[in-house]
Amino acid sequence: MTGQSDMSALEAHGVAKAFLSGRIRTMVLDAITLRINSGELTLIAGPSGCGKSTLLSILSGLQRPDSGRVFALGQELGTLDLSALEGFRLRHTGFVFQGFDLFPALQVSEQVELPLQYMGLSKSEVRARANDALDEVGMSSRRHLRPIELSGGEKQRVAIARALAKRPDLLFADEPTSSLDAANGQVVIDMLHDIAHRHGTTVLCVSHDPRLIEHADRVLQMEDGRILDDERITQTKRNPERSSVP
Amino acid sequence: MVALARRTLRYEWRRFLPAMVAVSLASLLLLLQGSLVLGIFGSASVYVTGSTADIWMGYPGTQSVDQGRSIDPDAATLIEMEPEAMRVEPFIWFDGDWRGPTRTGGVSVFVSGIDARPDGLMFSKVLSPALRAKLQTPDAVVVDRAELGKLGASVGSSAYIDGERVHVVGIGSGLRALGGVNVLASLDTAQRLNVDSDHPGWPTYVVAQLRHPEQAKAVAARLNQRQGGGPHQAWSATAFARRSTLFWLFDTGAGAGVLFLAGVVFLVGAAITSQTLVAAVFGSIREYATLNALGVGLGALRWVVLEQAFWVGAAGLVVAAISGLVVISIARLRDIPVVFDASLWVACSVAVMALAMLSGLVALRSLQRADPAELLR
Repeated sequence: MTGQSDMSALEAHGVAKAFLSGRIRTMVLDAITLRINSGELTLIAGPSGCGKSTLLSILSGLQRPDSGRVFALGQELGTLDLSALEGFRLRHTGFVFQGFDLFPALQVSEQVELPLQYMGLSKSEVRARANDALDEVGMSSRRHLRPIELSGGEKQRVAIARALAKRPDLLFADEPTSSLDAANGQVVIDMLHDIAHRHGTTVLCVSHDPRLIEHADRVLQMEDGRILDDERITQTKRNPERSSVP
Repeated sequence: MVALARRTLRYEWRRFLPAMVAVSLASLLLLLQGSLVLGIFGSASVYVTGSTADIWMGYPGTQSVDQGRSIDPDAATLIEMEPEAMRVEPFIWFDGDWRGPTRTGGVSVFVSGIDARPDGLMFSKVLSPALRAKLQTPDAVVVDRAELGKLGASVGSSAYIDGERVHVVGIGSGLRALGGVNVLASLDTAQRLNVDSDHPGWPTYVVAQLRHPEQAKAVAARLNQRQGGGPHQAWSATAFARRSTLFWLFDTGAGAGVLFLAGVVFLVGAAITSQTLVAAVFGSIREYATLNALGVGLGALRWVVLEQAFWVGAAGLVVAAISGLVVISIARLRDIPVVFDASLWVACSVAVMALAMLSGLVALRSLQRADPAELLR
């Protein structure tokens, strides 16, 4: 059923995607094949419009490719219908978006509890998971505040807690630091790195923020719908040496 | 549990306010229109609803109280034989031509000849004992205070009905009729005024009070069965009042008019409400898309929107009910014929909730835009 290697949490085989703009067909992803290892923070970097967000949305099952196959946790996403895909995302994935996208009416703790409610968990389990996640991102003391009372960095921490509380196998983050200042950006990067290593979660992050590169385990450089470079960042290279892995 | 729909409604109430206002105005309009129509056309049955008679016996097939024809006074015997009957009395009803003391020309009036004794059944709910006593004097009549101007009369003045002299001895309220003016008289006076009839003393109806009013329907059925399609027909008071109101409602075309207007109000309300809900859904579209990305199905999100529509409808209904009560009270103080009818309020509530839910269903379409892939662009 999978055809997937043991180490890979995510695999893409010949994934292609094009968009029509009027009569013009633009190739966004050009037959991409890659493997993303579990328990790592993998960064997809590249200039604006290179197709990195589209790749993220296809690998996370938010969008279907025009051709090619995607495997997530051994499951071929192309074989799932819409509701099965929703079910897969509910059980296995977390998302952190650039715009935080928190409900203005809900308090911090409720933002985190809300998606858990749909997972069939008991009330106490929902509460416990939300508390753990908020503790982990350091937002427990602000659990009763609403988004309007939070800074951008705090909102993003809540968004991370919302994704984390699901205890996902796969965590997808799209430009998670682009709306944040340097200090808050650093906090978010550290959290994503921690989540990958402490929880064994596969974190796939899309960003053009160069600060993220040194915190990633692996960096995929994209341009014009292709992966041009695939680098593994070693511990020693983080400060500041670096070696290229073909 | 996080009640997303209600929390959002409470926190972002300004966003939902136009929908609530639209729903409450629509329901208020439906309610008042219904109450007014029932009030106006309910006055066709004021003879029944203002009296304590439980059984009405009249000409077979009579569709409304004011469409009655004389019946043989022997009909009373038939009811008297009924063990449930406690009191039986005749009721004379005919239309006449009023000529008042001032220059008001001729006015069509409906003359009601009633048993004016203190324990008489007819108009017992709307005539005070004092007025009943005054009616017992020869040629005495009582009219509604709201009709005095039309009749050009006042208490103590004289007038002519079909050429026979009468005296206005008092004024009542709650006696207004449809299509004419109610003039109340004693049976003797009415008999004397009923000059155009071949049988001036014959009653138009024979009414009866039962020992157990709740038996009215069964007694009416029994009476009809006993006489086997004879020259009379019996109805329970409730059935006859309803029959009279419905006759006027649909005979005059007002029923169709009311339904048409209700339809317009419903559509306008639904249009405004659905557009407001659509805007509210769009306002939260990124948050909905995020939930969907996290695996919360579109089906579950649809329930959130429908629940919001439900609460918008419920809130609008509460506002409409309170303002409806106030407006109806004011209308009653000003002698405007409005009726507080529980079944009408239930029907309006059902219609308004249907309006809200329909609007919610329309707003659901905009949820399709909650595409999580859009969040990545």
